[in-house]
Amino acid sequence: MAPRTITPFGPQHPVLPEPIQLKLTLEDEKVVDVLPAIGYGHRGIEKACELNEYPKNIYLCERICGICSAIHGMTYCDVVEKLWPLEIPPRAKYLRTIWAEMSRTHSHLLWLGLAVDALGFESMFMQYWRIREKVLDILEMTAGHRVTQSVAVVGGVRRDIDDDQKKHCIEVLKDVRKEAEALNNVLVNDYTVKARTVGKGVLSYDQAIALGCCGPHLRASGVKEDCRQLGYWAYGDLSFEPITAPGGDTYSRVAVRCGELLQAIDLQLEAFAKMPEGDIAAKPKGSPPANEAATRIEQPRGELFYYAKGNGTRNLERLRVRTPTYANIPSLLVMLPGCEMADVAIIVLSIDPCISCTER
Amino acid sequence: MIDKLKEISKDQLLAEVKKYADSKAKFVTGSCNDLGDKLEVTYYFNASPGMDMSALRFVVGKGEEVPSMTGIYLTAVLIENEMKELFGLKVKDLAIDFGGHMMLAQDSPVLPMLKSEDQKAAAQKGGK
Amino acid sequence: MGIIATSRLKSPWIMHFDNSSCNGCDIEVLASLTPLYDIERFGIVNMGNPKHTDVLVVTGPVNRRTARVLKNLYDQIADPKMVIAVGTCSISGGVFHNCYNVLGGVDKVVPVDVYVPGCAARPEAIIDGVVMALQKLAKLQGVAL
Repeated sequence: MAPRTITPFGPQHPVLPEPIQLKLTLEDEKVVDVLPAIGYGHRGIEKACELNEYPKNIYLCERICGICSAIHGMTYCDVVEKLWPLEIPPRAKYLRTIWAEMSRTHSHLLWLGLAVDALGFESMFMQYWRIREKVLDILEMTAGHRVTQSVAVVGGVRRDIDDDQKKHCIEVLKDVRKEAEALNNVLVNDYTVKARTVGKGVLSYDQAIALGCCGPHLRASGVKEDCRQLGYWAYGDLSFEPITAPGGDTYSRVAVRCGELLQAIDLQLEAFAKMPEGDIAAKPKGSPPANEAATRIEQPRGELFYYAKGNGTRNLERLRVRTPTYANIPSLLVMLPGCEMADVAIIVLSIDPCISCTER
Repeated sequence: MIDKLKEISKDQLLAEVKKYADSKAKFVTGSCNDLGDKLEVTYYFNASPGMDMSALRFVVGKGEEVPSMTGIYLTAVLIENEMKELFGLKVKDLAIDFGGHMMLAQDSPVLPMLKSEDQKAAAQKGGK
Repeated sequence: MGIIATSRLKSPWIMHFDNSSCNGCDIEVLASLTPLYDIERFGIVNMGNPKHTDVLVVTGPVNRRTARVLKNLYDQIADPKMVIAVGTCSISGGVFHNCYNVLGGVDKVVPVDVYVPGCAARPEAIIDGVVMALQKLAKLQGVAL
């Protein structure tokens, strides 16, 4: 047996924009054991959500994560609406769906860029981020901000998308789809990308379920599961079918996200075509009653779980947030042992880790 | 209201969780509530494949030991460590024990998620 | 005017450290490296090593665990160095002011030279912040920018 060394990976590491530490036990270059050490991003948001009045929590929940901030805000509103329960207007449902899919588009473009950068494919990183800017532009136009869209209110949404904006969005989305498709074709057929990803960090169907994985990570192991199948908001009206890949390796995860990127754009185009006219927000009566509710929404990284408990006052008794990365981190314990040190970065990135989400 | 919630005692926990594991259900997450002198723990599972969620709930006194399900679902290790650290839920036989410093630093507040006196008073008073 | 002082202004190397931010400013810092904003045209290069760094870009509020890491990184950077706090929460704690694990702004731990407000700060504002830091550095070294 070769001598073992323990090498820390992070918390400040060039491939990870966020702080997480992995303690890797190595035999020469081979990883034999891994222990994730988290907690660098822990702020205590769940407690702060009990101290703030419930409408203010939207802004706090949106800042659990800056990449899928719109979905966090909308999920918070969704779970609080379930306390009454409060039905939101149909147009608001479509608008939420559109913004959620827009967030998914920019998030997947972001991830594809970071992933190819971790493979050393820098020009492609720049290309993905170049077309991501177009999506951010339409987000800014419709919601008012590039990153923190802040579109949700309890009972609906804060802004409407008018016809001119709609026309422009459709134009941009079609353009982005064409460019993304061309880039995806290069990515999934590239010899070097295949050599670096096929058979790396394998997670089987059974392991993925036993470890409770979610999102594109789960679907890349062949499990056909997606919260959008629940048909919340407008998803019930749209033609949606989860995208899966059979391999369970890093390559499958890249392929699933490439597919979901195009699917997200198609869903937006379909939602724009079917969106009904009408109100964009219902007014909630009084404070959330003493009740509890749980909701699950598909975020770019997987299933987002919110649990809320009201007590009849303006403050919530308890808010619990379980983000997708929280469910996906344990799978690293299975995926990393056996790989080489140089592959650690891309395997860790393949779960699309969002640390600030995880630790709240 | 949580759909398909089953109230159990802490001694039944492992047997119930085993049933979920045998039916190849997916562990979703857990959550803990501070009820004053007791803690309420809820675990959520998802029938797989499919999106059918159900839950197990038990209530224990503060300071009572509860069994860990990490022997059945390894993935529960994060949430059990978190509840131990933030609520003081005494989980025994954890597969990986972070020793109370998974989320919190050495100088962080102790058991920060328990309700403060101010919070209890505000909830008592109710109001708008 | 020495060659080192000039080069430091013409091609400053930055390092980005995320305290416990929401990621919003982090991706905006990264976005300013990409083709639309292209911060590299000012000679600015993103580095992973504190000893190669002239400008430290910090995002997010300081929490109780990252305070030590941040201090550590700051101490490793050679003088003269500049610190830029990007985003409202790195200035004062912002929306996270009442979270129990948050200490507050970056200036609770290390001295800050330039504050870039915004939640999340826009790439234009971040580039502007770096240029302001360079102006300050130029004055400090007694050279023209």
